[in-house]
Amino acid sequence: MVTKFFLPRILTALGVIFGVVCVVFLLLHLVPGDPVEVMLGESAQPADREALRQALGLDQPIHLQLLSYFKGLAQLDLGTSLYSRRPISEILLERLPATIELGLASLILALTLAIPLGVIAAIKKETAWDFGAMGFALFGVSIPNFWMGPMLILVGALWLGWFPVSGREGMGSIVLPAITLGTAMAAILSRMIRSTLLEVLTEDFIRTARSKGLTEWTVTFRHGLRNALLPVITLLGLQLGALLSGAVITETVFSWPGIGSLVVEAIHRRDYPVVQAAVLLISFSYVMVNLFTDLVYAWVDPRVRLSK
Amino acid sequence: MFHFSIIPLLHQVQIDFKIMIRFAMALGALLLFPLLISCTDPPTNVIRFGLATAPTNLDPRFATDATSDRVNRLLYERLVDFNDAFEPIPALANWEQVSPTHFRFHLTPNRATFHDGTPLTAQDVKATYNFILNADNASPHRSALAMIDHLTIHDELTIDFHLNRPDSLFPSFLTIGILPAQLIQAQHPFHSKPVGSGTFSFVAWPDDTRLELVRLADKQTFEFIKVQEPTVRALKLLAGEIDMLQNDVPPELVTYLAKDPRLRIQRKPGTNFSYVGLSLEDEHTKQLLVRQAMAHAIDRESIIQYVLGGAARPAQSLLPPDHWAGAHNLKSYEHNPEKSRSLLAQAGYHAQAPLRLTYKTSSDPFRVRLATILQYQLAQVGIEVDLRSYDWGTFYGDIKAGRFQMYTLSWVGVKTPDIFQYVFHSHAIPPNGANRGRFHSDQADLLIDQAGTTQDLREKKHLYQELQAYIAEALPYVPLWYEDHVFMAQQNIEGFTIAKDGNFDGLKNVHRTSPSMAL
Repeated sequence: MVTKFFLPRILTALGVIFGVVCVVFLLLHLVPGDPVEVMLGESAQPADREALRQALGLDQPIHLQLLSYFKGLAQLDLGTSLYSRRPISEILLERLPATIELGLASLILALTLAIPLGVIAAIKKETAWDFGAMGFALFGVSIPNFWMGPMLILVGALWLGWFPVSGREGMGSIVLPAITLGTAMAAILSRMIRSTLLEVLTEDFIRTARSKGLTEWTVTFRHGLRNALLPVITLLGLQLGALLSGAVITETVFSWPGIGSLVVEAIHRRDYPVVQAAVLLISFSYVMVNLFTDLVYAWVDPRVRLSK
Repeated sequence: MFHFSIIPLLHQVQIDFKIMIRFAMALGALLLFPLLISCTDPPTNVIRFGLATAPTNLDPRFATDATSDRVNRLLYERLVDFNDAFEPIPALANWEQVSPTHFRFHLTPNRATFHDGTPLTAQDVKATYNFILNADNASPHRSALAMIDHLTIHDELTIDFHLNRPDSLFPSFLTIGILPAQLIQAQHPFHSKPVGSGTFSFVAWPDDTRLELVRLADKQTFEFIKVQEPTVRALKLLAGEIDMLQNDVPPELVTYLAKDPRLRIQRKPGTNFSYVGLSLEDEHTKQLLVRQAMAHAIDRESIIQYVLGGAARPAQSLLPPDHWAGAHNLKSYEHNPEKSRSLLAQAGYHAQAPLRLTYKTSSDPFRVRLATILQYQLAQVGIEVDLRSYDWGTFYGDIKAGRFQMYTLSWVGVKTPDIFQYVFHSHAIPPNGANRGRFHSDQADLLIDQAGTTQDLREKKHLYQELQAYIAEALPYVPLWYEDHVFMAQQNIEGFTIAKDGNFDGLKNVHRTSPSMAL
């Protein structure tokens, strides 16, 4: 049963990762720009360019480069950064805690906001509460991070002086980036919770639950919300994947040393191995989160288990 | 229509809220606690320097970016340095020219030891340069030192450089930091654990947004903090989270910061040369009349005054006039739209058949803004400019491949006049150099070759000045300006001297006069 449930998913996941690595590898080599040129500048002699290209293995045909990359991966070797000449695993390990920390903090904030807002909006449909909650959601979705980040810095750091402007120093430094990321996510989640809960609350089993004399709390949360959560979990999985892959703009605005800002810098420098490794990590996170989502699905909805 | 009733809602939902919030907080604390304790609190007695880009490599044999070079200058000593006129001056060593192809360097007796306590000797100099010259090591600096044939150690404090061709400017190229021979042999990871003999030593590099060094003379700790966004960097300075910044802040932000009594602003004329590059193979821009018309259409003085906040000086040549090989009284192109229109008319362009050009620039917001201003000024004389901005890799690739009609860029960190060979010689068309506009001129080639081979420095200077006068007439570039260096710091930070090339050597004398307000 367990094998039947897991095996196809794991095989699909491996296929996805393989595909992503190949596509990213090819795309990176197709876009204009050459790391050797960026590193050596124009004053370099052609012979030196060739020597460096050879030393970095960039003189090989692209399929051989890809093959050698996969060989490295099989030995858990992600390669070395073309720029800093440091092992990429070391660079990723430096950045990963910051990304996980920001991702989790934003997710918790988003859930803390989204569940009450969504539930209130659904059970108080078409009242001021509903319009207020959904107004907030619209506000959260509409405000771009590149504007919200600096505004939060202005108010929270400069005017009130409660939090640091940017960086990852001290526990207060996570508050502003987490609000920036979490608000948008809370907005999306609360709208989803509202609509699915509204749908569920009109189902027959809810009427049955009410007629059995259950309290409104039990009906809403135990019977209603639990059933309304299925599509929300899917969305949550995708959002969490996006958070772990690094919120590029938020990380840049707040100088948050995570994976997102690393990818942007590496793309600018055409540091191929770093981009590849980071994308591999991102796709791996997505796949793992989706696998986890499937498990939660099975836990929340016994029918999923039965059908598989 | 909706009704508003708060009481029933409170009855039903208030308790749920509390439970949920408690649950979320408990869950959050559980998950976040191990991560948050890994966040470090800001140190209190540290002087913090904000950077737009972080250093990428602390090994001077491999570092190529400006920030790494500036930080490496603090960590490592080099044989030769430059004065404000960019003439080579002794740093670790004095030198004598024994013959046109033989230079002898004597290490100074008062030099510091390496940070691991070992003395710096001729052996270390030889090991450093031999490593770079070894093609197997793929050092990006090898090509600049291609004139070195071999090195011999005369004695512990004296080393001879033998060249494969005469070069009277040779000492100017010996600016690579010296590393300990023993550690080179042991393949020490200098890129992340530097060991030099500079006035600063390495403390920690927890991630690439923070680098900690200590000044050996007084154990003052400095932290280099990368803050990519210029606005955020300025806000951090205002909030007292960083003590100082140098450059890379848009002029309007500098003006804003200058009004704050808690901050001080210093400026110094810089040498970074901004220019409009033109294709000499394009059917329009290869015409001298068109290039002259463009030069007269650009109002550099207004841009400097109103956009750059006065923090630049107009340029006539790639080398500033205060460079030892710089030229004075070069032909300058005053802003004269009438003359520009008349030159365009002579070239056969008019309202019915206007000159249309594509202008490429990077995606840097400030560069795009400058580009839109130039686009407007050129439109005033009837040149229709289609502006396109690209990410750096794509833009730079296009420029080198010659896929452009016009673009704007800056030359940064130019110190020696052999730059003319790279930029304007007909043999220096990419990938063999940086003659991106495909400028072919026998006259320029002759002057460049003569200036490069003559051993007499006075004659060399004269030839380079003649070359610059010729280039100002031929206009392969339309020169724009040299941007000033701007240093911004808290009032309690004193002693920083801005370097002509924007290096960080001023940190050697920086001190805090009173405790930091913010920390």
